[in-house]
This record gives sequence, structure tokens and C-alpha cells, in this order.
Amino acid sequence: MKNRIEEIRNEKGIRQEDLARLMGVSRQTISSLENGRYNPSILLAHKIAQYFGMTIEEVFIFEEE
Amino acid sequence: MYYNNKRLALNIFWIVLGAVLTVLTITEVLDSSVYSGMGGAFMAVGALQLIRTVKYRKDSEYREKVDTEISDERNRFLRMKSWSWAGYFTILIEGIGVIVAMVLGERTIQLILSYSVCLILVVYWVAYIILSRKY
Repeated sequence: MKNRIEEIRNEKGIRQEDLARLMGVSRQTISSLENGRYNPSILLAHKIAQYFGMTIEEVFIFEEE
Repeated sequence: MYYNNKRLALNIFWIVLGAVLTVLTITEVLDSSVYSGMGGAFMAVGALQLIRTVKYRKDSEYREKVDTEISDERNRFLRMKSWSWAGYFTILIEGIGVIVAMVLGERTIQLILSYSVCLILVVYWVAYIILSRKY
């Protein structure tokens, strides 16, 4: 699943470390999410989208495989 | 809080148990070097965990790091995945071992490995049934 976390994070000028701390996850988790290596749980996806003030669909791009 | 009082008590228990085993070996109440080794290992593990516990309680940065590592969902996913892989590879390696033992005519090893594979499969199915009722 693709996402726009890196793009939105850069727009808002937030560092990976800070986003990770706010979401209660490690920096590696944010890095893996941004690289598309790891898909988040619905709870984390919701938390990230809520923090950015967006909907999940605006942050995460669902693609049928 | 990961390193809570229960863990602290457990660390002290390991150290005491290790010390008891070591003393019993030195005083020759127990006559095996295995117990001495076990005692040393228990004391070392207990002491190491005790140091971690103290650091966790005193150092807020370390506490935050440990708590994040434990609750981090990717870490939990990796731990589950690693256990899953460990299971698959164990069965695979034991399966190969059974064939090799059969070719070499090592009947005892072949039986032990075969039973071990069966045991893992039984545990897997029991776990599957329990989990399917829970979720």
C-alpha cells in the first residue's frame, strides 16, 4: 500500500523522530511506512491521518493487488 | 511500565537462586558442575536485568525508548513473524534431518526428529483451535 506520509510530513516540516514519538512508535516504523515496506494497522493509520488533519484515504492509497 | 515490581522481584529471585546453586556446589551438597554453571548463569542474567530495571526507573529517556520498542506495532509484527519463520524452518530442518538420518541408518535420531516434527504440528493445531475460538 502506497502512502503520502513522507510528502505530508515534509510539507508540515516534521521530522521522522518527532512523528514517531507523537504516534508512539519507533522511527524505524515511520521509515518503513514511508518506504512502503510495512503496512500500518488501522489504528496507526487512523492516528496518523488524524494527526495530519486528513482522512485515511487522503494519506493512504489503497490498491487492489 | 515494562520493568515493574514483579520483574524486579523476579530478577532478585534469579540472583538468589543462582547464589544458592553456586553455594551448594561449592559446599559439595550438589556434586555436578552443571549446577554451578546454572547458578552462574542465573546470577548473571538476574544482575543484568537488575541493572536494566534500575536504568529504566532512573533514566526517563531510556524508559521512553524501551516502552516504545515494546509497544511499537512493527516490532510486535516482526516478533510474531520471526516466531513464525522459526517454526517453519525448524520443521524444514528437522524434516531434512529425518531423511538424512534414514539414509545414514541412524534409527534413534530419525525417531527423535520425527516425533519432534509431530509434536510441533500437534502444538500448532492446538494453538490454531484455541486462537480460532478466541478471534
